[in-house]
Amino acid sequence: MNKLIFNEMLKIIRKRKLIVVVAIMVVLISLFTYAQFREVQRQIEKLGDVDWRTTLQQQIVDTQNRLTSSGISDEWKAQLQIRVQQQQYYLDNNINPAEPGAPTFVRSFAQESITLFVPLLIMIIAADIVSSERSAGTVKLLLTRPVKRWKILLSKYIALLLSISIIVVLMGVLAYLISGVVFGFGGWNAPVLTGFTSIGGELNTSNVQLIDQWQYILMEFGLVWFVAIVVGTLSFMLSVLLKSTSASMGVMLAALIAGLILSNLVSSWQSAKYLFMINLDLTGYIAGSSPPVPGMTLLFSIGVLSIWAVGALLISFSVFVRQDVY
Amino acid sequence: MKKTYVSIISFLSIGAFLVMLFGFLWTIQNQLVKKETTVREQTQVVEEPEKRNEGKIIVALGDSLTRGTGDEEGKGYIGYLIEELEEKTDEKLTLHNYGVKGYRSEQLLSQVKGETIQNQIKNADVILMTIGGNDLFQGGQTLVSPDKEAIALIKEQYLNNLKETMDIIKSTNQDAIIYLVGLYNPFIDLDDAAMTTKVVRDWNYSTNQLLDQYSNSVFVPTFDLFQLKVNDYLFSDKFHPNSKGYRLIAERAASLITW
Amino acid sequence: MTEITLSIKGLRKKIGKREIIKGLDFELKSGEVFGFLGPNGAGKTTTIRMLVGLIRPTAGSIQVCGYDVKKNFVKAMSHLGCIVENPELYPYLTGLENLQHFSRMIPNFDSNHLEYVIKLVRLQDRINDPVKTYSLGMRQRLGIAQALLGKPKVLILDEPTNGLDPMGIREMREFIRFLAEKEGLTVLVSSHLLSEIQLMCDRVAVISKGKVIKVDTVKNLLHFQEQLVWKVSPVEEGKKLLQTVTTVKLDKENRLVTPLSDKSSSWNHMLVEHGIEVHEIQRKVPALEDLFLELTGGESVE
Repeated sequence: MNKLIFNEMLKIIRKRKLIVVVAIMVVLISLFTYAQFREVQRQIEKLGDVDWRTTLQQQIVDTQNRLTSSGISDEWKAQLQIRVQQQQYYLDNNINPAEPGAPTFVRSFAQESITLFVPLLIMIIAADIVSSERSAGTVKLLLTRPVKRWKILLSKYIALLLSISIIVVLMGVLAYLISGVVFGFGGWNAPVLTGFTSIGGELNTSNVQLIDQWQYILMEFGLVWFVAIVVGTLSFMLSVLLKSTSASMGVMLAALIAGLILSNLVSSWQSAKYLFMINLDLTGYIAGSSPPVPGMTLLFSIGVLSIWAVGALLISFSVFVRQDVY
Repeated sequence: MKKTYVSIISFLSIGAFLVMLFGFLWTIQNQLVKKETTVREQTQVVEEPEKRNEGKIIVALGDSLTRGTGDEEGKGYIGYLIEELEEKTDEKLTLHNYGVKGYRSEQLLSQVKGETIQNQIKNADVILMTIGGNDLFQGGQTLVSPDKEAIALIKEQYLNNLKETMDIIKSTNQDAIIYLVGLYNPFIDLDDAAMTTKVVRDWNYSTNQLLDQYSNSVFVPTFDLFQLKVNDYLFSDKFHPNSKGYRLIAERAASLITW
Repeated sequence: MTEITLSIKGLRKKIGKREIIKGLDFELKSGEVFGFLGPNGAGKTTTIRMLVGLIRPTAGSIQVCGYDVKKNFVKAMSHLGCIVENPELYPYLTGLENLQHFSRMIPNFDSNHLEYVIKLVRLQDRINDPVKTYSLGMRQRLGIAQALLGKPKVLILDEPTNGLDPMGIREMREFIRFLAEKEGLTVLVSSHLLSEIQLMCDRVAVISKGKVIKVDTVKNLLHFQEQLVWKVSPVEEGKKLLQTVTTVKLDKENRLVTPLSDKSSSWNHMLVEHGIEVHEIQRKVPALEDLFLELTGGESVE
């Protein structure tokens, strides 16, 4: 089995898939770092003051003003309300939610990238892991070896899991190194609050706990990793079912974007919470933003995602083992 | 050579897998097991931001007028006021605008109770306020169907809130000069102008009276500015000022500010 | 040397309601090259894919060296090497990496065998180049090397000479004969080209519309069909005369065709006695093409 996994890793690496993913990450992280840097500059210019409390207070006031403007959706309003209360809580407890430094950048980057950016990167690898063998015809060689079919598929899946893991870790490392050049490398021990829950648009702070930023980042990346695996598993299934790589990428992309749009619309459509793409924003739960459908919790989302992933795996294996290869 | 490269990446991946798995499981454990710790115990009071000597600090508090609702240029009277002041003085001016659209007196009160706002107030040289409009007009309802008793009640609450707000500001910063912008009557063109005008004048009078109890506090009347040709100075909602209206308020306030 | 290495019994495949393979039976022995001949669409590729486990048969059994492909896939496949259609290898890997890749899928692989196989297909010089730089002939050879990695007893080649130039075809043919004669492999070669099968196979199965029409040695098949061609004048009288002793047909060039017989000298004598001039008597070995036309009743072959 180890040799089979080695084979699959060899193919992923020699196809330069990992390099492509790393290159995309470097470019985008640099871009975001620069944008963040400009934003900080603007704040300093505008307020003439670098005290974070001033900035945060100003943010609260800005958000409150947005809340009162007409024509914003109820979902968005609820989100903003939660945000104001959270910022106020940070302020009241004298904790800077955005301690300057690379770790803070990494933290917010992970949070922003979990619903679309990371899934896209994962798709680059997962969508063609089986279908490329098929379109290139090499699947015929692969399946006429003295190795059971399920072992071949399993080796591919494990190679996918390993690639996902290294991509997620690399993302963190790259984000840290690149943003560290601009914002400095310190700040791992800055305090961060987690455990906010929102009930009916109100912020519940009874379970709030204070943890070090590095702990928070580790938790966040654990969740990003989990989401990446679920998305990877679903793409993997599509890769088994569909002959063409672009078709499976297209389907997955459509689902992800639909998820983004739906997340802002579905608060009144209860059963939407069983769709996998509504549940991708796991970091939102530890950050304490309000869920797309009221009543969703971290555990619920992890459960839904797990069920989707297990289902996708069952389908992948049962189809692949029985399938006639022409 | 190429083979070892693949092996290294594979082993790194296995390491990455284990770390991520740990992070994920830890998150679940952390989020599900309720902890008894409260945050407040762990936080310590942070050093006060230093009072800076250079320049003047202006803190603006209040409602939509402070925010600038209705101004096509989005500046509000604060924006124009700063422009005027910058012409008048060489001092570096720093503005903190904490105005929130729709704020009533009790919301302002709870805002100034906040520690951060108080820190800003402490450093302020000038404090500008617009408040009360939303208390009195409540989106236009009060004056359309006037009820004297109801208005009296609202006014009493407003004055109490304002008094408390002033107390807090004064206890935080003795020296800052407070400018409170009075109300104008946006309904002066309507049928029962006589009645609404009386209510607004009474309101302004009581406000002014309250301010008299504090040193270094100035009431900025605006009623007369909007008395004639009110519609030229109002935004299309016939309630908030437009750019011209804000400019008028700014000019008047600017002329009152001295260092 | 005569053990049975591949046996197929009652093999059927239905796709939807259409039955593509309608019951195939044949057995292959070690050391022989077995031709699998049929027009495009006859079911050759489907059959081969069933033999190598890519497609599951609807009914019937396939045994490689006594191991059932369905029930004992791993054992069966370890005795079988194959190229199905074109040898599609990973173009971004080198030839050596490709072979290593597949060798890692063979249990207890002996790495010395890798060098032996590379030498066997004469790819030593280019083995470290990426496969995308290979010519078709080199890819075909690499494909065979890949098929030989597991020291198979049975080698299945689907259209091995497809797309090769005449030189490459000849090389391939010699190589296949070499494998069968010197290495004792059973080689199953499918083709729609008759000349090819004729030149390299010991036995042949003719398949049409999902059925085996005939299985026999190439020699037997040809011998069975040997004919005599008579060029006589006048033709009509000669035909009448021969019809009294055997079956006669008239071919396109106005010649008489009779089956081969040891009595042919007496027939000749008879013709001459009756004053018919015999210009030419020719013994004709028909090509498989004629045979095929005859067996299938007119279905054309390329």
